[in-house]
Amino acid sequence: MTTITTEAPQAPGGWKPSALRRGGGSRRVPPVGVLLSFTMLLLVVGWSLAPGLFTGQDPARGVPAEAFQGPSLAHLFGTDHLGRDEFARVVHGSASSVTSALVAVAIGVVVGGLVGLVAGFIGSWVDVVLSRVVDVLLAIPSFLLAVVVVSALGFETINAAIATGVSAVAVFARVMRSEVLKTRRAVFVEASLLLGGSRWHVLVRHVLPNASRSVLNLAVLQFGLSILVIAGLAFLGYGDPPPASDWGLLVSSGKDYPLAPWLVYAPAVVTIATVLSANRISRWLRKTD
Amino acid sequence: MTDTRSRRLVSRPYLTYALQRVVQAAVVVLLAYCFTFLVISVLPGDPVSNTLRNPENNFTEDEIARIIGYYGLDQPIHVQLWESLTRFLRLDLGVSLRSNLPVSRAISEVIGSTVVLALSALVVAVVLAFGVAYGVRNLPTPLARPLRALPSLFLSVPNFVIGLLLINVFAFQLGLFFVTDSEGGTATFFAAVALGIPVSAQIAEVLIANLDHESRQEYASFATSRGLSRSRLFWRHLLKPSSLPVVTVIALTVGELLGGALITETIFGRTGIGSLVQRAVTTQDLPVLQAVVVLAAVTFVVVNLVVDLVYPLLDPRVDLRGATKRVRPVTEAVPA
Repeated sequence: MTTITTEAPQAPGGWKPSALRRGGGSRRVPPVGVLLSFTMLLLVVGWSLAPGLFTGQDPARGVPAEAFQGPSLAHLFGTDHLGRDEFARVVHGSASSVTSALVAVAIGVVVGGLVGLVAGFIGSWVDVVLSRVVDVLLAIPSFLLAVVVVSALGFETINAAIATGVSAVAVFARVMRSEVLKTRRAVFVEASLLLGGSRWHVLVRHVLPNASRSVLNLAVLQFGLSILVIAGLAFLGYGDPPPASDWGLLVSSGKDYPLAPWLVYAPAVVTIATVLSANRISRWLRKTD
Repeated sequence: MTDTRSRRLVSRPYLTYALQRVVQAAVVVLLAYCFTFLVISVLPGDPVSNTLRNPENNFTEDEIARIIGYYGLDQPIHVQLWESLTRFLRLDLGVSLRSNLPVSRAISEVIGSTVVLALSALVVAVVLAFGVAYGVRNLPTPLARPLRALPSLFLSVPNFVIGLLLINVFAFQLGLFFVTDSEGGTATFFAAVALGIPVSAQIAEVLIANLDHESRQEYASFATSRGLSRSRLFWRHLLKPSSLPVVTVIALTVGELLGGALITETIFGRTGIGSLVQRAVTTQDLPVLQAVVVLAAVTFVVVNLVVDLVYPLLDPRVDLRGATKRVRPVTEAVPA
């Protein structure tokens, strides 16, 4: 009669002491969709590390007689206007697309994470100043910010990656800061301090492990988003010039040939599948938390 | 006889909160200006020799000297920043290096098209998001399940791909509009769809998360046990508390709309802020670039400020007395 609530009472803030967290992780087998997503990401990373293993064709060598061939067994993704194998171009292009996204995420995690950590851990006026800086970065539309940064650095793919990373700093800083604040107020942190733990000890032993889960989660999500942003920049021509074959650039050059739609769809589908996989994995990580 | 509402409007906590937010917003805009200025000043190459002395632009030596003096391009960087900032505070956005016309005029010539596009895209996004959310809650499971995955898919498609797809299907194959008539009604509609789809995903994700949360509340189970149908429950009880936080999310998507417009305008061949930025980037027209970024930041800050100020009035549950910085309900599906 008296108990209507069915939900178990939860600890405020949703934190768990680091010790519990390490031991009690779920060991269940991930669902099929997640396994597929991991396979897709592994495949793409494989393409970017060793493109030669996946295609025997030279992405730069065109056979004019074979121009505009539709997808077939010989050319999985068809051929372009110069008779170059589109699959080889996608595979070889993934090196720069995937690496750029990783660079962007790394910049976001390191710079944003540091900003958030310092803001949340030191607090007081440092927090106020850093939070305003983060507000500024959030106020400028991230794609516009990336365009401005890449135009300041020069039109190269690595600069596009840096620009994308800069535009992701704010998000990481915000998440890191809120995680740090959450943990800092926790009882086990108070206990650790009372037992004589130094601030450094608390930071390394409790705050960082607790924050790392959310940041990892965001990093996976941001990997997908970065691929989209970098593809967008390449599409507008702010990456490496044409002999390169970034996915965005492939779509951009493919769109000039409406009669050969595979030139747009092949790189587009690869991009979508990669981003979708990253999103799916990030969602799964969040759920198993 | 003052009614409670007007008394709450002028209540002390609200005024303090409002004042704090306004000051914060102003600081953010000023800092955004400085930040952009500093980023842009790192630009390799000398804008003076690149642009002003370009024979195509037909500047006389007098004009060049005047522009250099105006921007203080011969001064150290902090002096330039100060000059530029004081001009900005007088609402002077400077002169385009490319056309020698005031930047404000270059912007006002094209801004209408972008505003129309962004607003239509927002309408498309909101309608789509509520449609998806309605379907997820009310359709039978076999239909609702794939619908639940739709926002995630929408978020994963590059918006230039959506644009190209729409043009290919509706312009080239069905002939519903002509790409040459880029500002026409139908063309604008499809451009708005291309821009609105990724934005709709963010709104839908939050809306669905809120609906799920509300449907687990006791009042919802009580209403169901009283015999209310699913759709009745949705319209009468779940929709209102779930869609209030969405207002905040919509304000946050302003940035996406402005950033995405860059690509959408290129694909649909529209003349707007996006094409202005593209031209400014390729010709290194720094004052234009600076002005557009600041304009975007101001738009974002003002929209979010208005939402933050109106929100406590819309939702009486928001308590400002304990609020120090920012009162924001759960607006993100991602726990951030």
